[in-house]
Amino acid sequence: MDRAFSWVAAFPDEVWEHTFSFLPTDADRNAVALVCRSWHRIERLSRRKIFVGNCYAVEPAAAVRRFPEVRAATIKGKPHFADFNLTITDWGGGAGRWIQSMAKGWPLLEELRLKRMVVSDDCLEIAARSFKNFRVLSLASCEGFSTAGLASVAANCRNLKALDLHENEVEENCINWISHFPESFTSLVTLNIACLDGEMNVSILERLISRCPNLKTLRLNHVTPLEKLVGLLHRAPQLVDLGIGMLIGEGHPGLFSKLESAFAHLKHLKNLSGIWEAGPLYLPAIYSICEGLTALHLCDSSIQTPELSKVVSRCKNLQQLWAMDLIEDDGLIAVASSCKLLRELRIFPSDPHGLAQPVYLTQYGLLAVSSGCVMLESVLYFCRQMTNSALLAIANNCPNLTCFRLCIIEPYTPDYITQEPLDAGFGAIVELCKDLRRLSISGLLTDRVFKTIGASANRLEMLSVAFAGDTDAGLHYILSGCKKLRKLEIRDCPFGDKALLDNADKLEAMRSLWMSSCSVTLGACRLLAKKMPRLNVEVIDENGGGSLESWPDDCHVEKLYIYRTIAGPRTDAPPFVLTV
Amino acid sequence: MGGYCNSPSSSIDSSCDPDLSTSSIFEQRRDLSTELRLGLSLSSSSLQHKYSHKEKDPLSDWPPIKPLLRSTLEGKAHQSNSETFFVKVYMEGVPIGRKLDLFAHNGYDDLIKSLGHMFRTTITCSHVSQVSLEKSHVLTYEDEEGDWMMVGDVPWELFLSTVKKLKITKVEKC
Repeated sequence: MDRAFSWVAAFPDEVWEHTFSFLPTDADRNAVALVCRSWHRIERLSRRKIFVGNCYAVEPAAAVRRFPEVRAATIKGKPHFADFNLTITDWGGGAGRWIQSMAKGWPLLEELRLKRMVVSDDCLEIAARSFKNFRVLSLASCEGFSTAGLASVAANCRNLKALDLHENEVEENCINWISHFPESFTSLVTLNIACLDGEMNVSILERLISRCPNLKTLRLNHVTPLEKLVGLLHRAPQLVDLGIGMLIGEGHPGLFSKLESAFAHLKHLKNLSGIWEAGPLYLPAIYSICEGLTALHLCDSSIQTPELSKVVSRCKNLQQLWAMDLIEDDGLIAVASSCKLLRELRIFPSDPHGLAQPVYLTQYGLLAVSSGCVMLESVLYFCRQMTNSALLAIANNCPNLTCFRLCIIEPYTPDYITQEPLDAGFGAIVELCKDLRRLSISGLLTDRVFKTIGASANRLEMLSVAFAGDTDAGLHYILSGCKKLRKLEIRDCPFGDKALLDNADKLEAMRSLWMSSCSVTLGACRLLAKKMPRLNVEVIDENGGGSLESWPDDCHVEKLYIYRTIAGPRTDAPPFVLTV
Repeated sequence: MGGYCNSPSSSIDSSCDPDLSTSSIFEQRRDLSTELRLGLSLSSSSLQHKYSHKEKDPLSDWPPIKPLLRSTLEGKAHQSNSETFFVKVYMEGVPIGRKLDLFAHNGYDDLIKSLGHMFRTTITCSHVSQVSLEKSHVLTYEDEEGDWMMVGDVPWELFLSTVKKLKITKVEKC
């Protein structure tokens, strides 16, 4: 028994349990569980939320057994670079085994969030039937299911509060799946169907919205004509988060005042998102709600700078802005002078392959925002030119940055004015922004930038690198530094075997490492796997197929995914994935 | 997902004239970076030659944007900047139809004139004043409810929002 820890018995279990409930992070709870056996037992029996960053890091049954009272689970599957077509189809990430274990061990599960996983309709049906108190289903960047699966969720989950479908690939085979919500169903708070392609029966949707008085988030899908949107908005004036789908309409002039009045009724609206294809003439209809907005996501929309500037200059309370680069430097200057509470800026490329005339979005736009918006913490910026001096100024303006992702679209692009590599600029970012947790670098970069990152980025948890570096030393600097690094993803860099083998232990302290189109050989992978039994070293070779075992050591590895696991090599890998 | 307007266009038209010096700077930058690329250390040169933007087809995995955005933008790249609204037009008795861009016209008069040229006949609708009784065809349209209506009764903008296709029918039939 825990004689050395007899103080544990000074309080009943419930007191410790209550104390643990104040711990903010899972890492804290994990630490508590290591103190003594009693605390381990109390902690595991009282854990209500579980986060599994890599679905292959642990056996589902083991996780369910250890924490029998979980009510909310978040599980992630494929590596992040899978979002950009870098992994192969059928790589894995199936949710089936997890759902089966959870259905058996967690019948009281209320919330399930899956990201980048393959979820079948059967999975959805099992979940819908097994979890009687199911409240929240969130699927992000998943695939493998269809609207028939959604129909079974609608039909069986009597108390569902949230159905949140974010950027999934969904097969459309059940046109009126939404009519499977029974007439008695009124509990919906969040409905996000923006990623669905199929046409929605508007009257069924209207009836659903009308009988759910607590609906706060509604993100529509597909093409929404202006008249239909007006009708829907009148039924849900309590909305806080609205996604307009792809709003179209060149209707008669009377429609403008109807649209304007419909928006004016949304007194609680904070988030507005969608694709505005209705043309600039209708845009003033949203002016009345701009001041209340904290988040505006107008991506894919073809609104140009002058109209966008008029909108953003009215959004005085905006904290999050996602827009296309059509906003241009001028639009961002308007943001800098009007949106003083801005925390997050994301600018996406409207013309990623450079086929049309260049857009006037440069380093000046980002510089203006960094200077005008002192609360800026998170940046995602696609552009075509950058300078070291701009990056230095941005770092000086925003020392509180936690996420900085810069993608200069053309690889190997140097400083636009001096033609130097951008080492100094990114170096300034990591040296001055001490809380930086996520970083993506691009442009012309030598090993020097990696030396600086390794030495200074002490809080960095995720790093994305593409087309950068000169030698293996670059990777070595990262792996031997960056104390808190958890996820590293690299493509098209001259990094190879030595850095990997010299830093093998580091790989077990991280969640995962992705390397593609680098200079890694099969021999190094074999050595690494042998040395580190608690790592899965997956070599992905689309061409080789199952014969990888017979290949020589010096053969080049095109795609490599390494992750720590206590579950051993996975059993569901397709033939072109070899766990070495 | 893609634009709701599926008609192809002849060229990607820009609505603003780029400043000449800016576009030449872009060209300059690309040339300079090529020089730099070749001058860098040999170990990385093989990787850099692997990606040469000018010769290759656009990569499907760079820049790092999500598939939904990528396919939406690819769909848009085939459209011109100005909006178009092509509808099918059939003439009674002629099995092969034509297509007409309604947005390229600014009213009923304009439309009648275009159709008259396209089908080589005189066409009337309720908007055009009946000068001569010898008009041989009348213009009708199918609206969003599937009903066939005579063109010209409603304001032009309202017509644009409800029309699905056009049909030119012989006068005696009406």
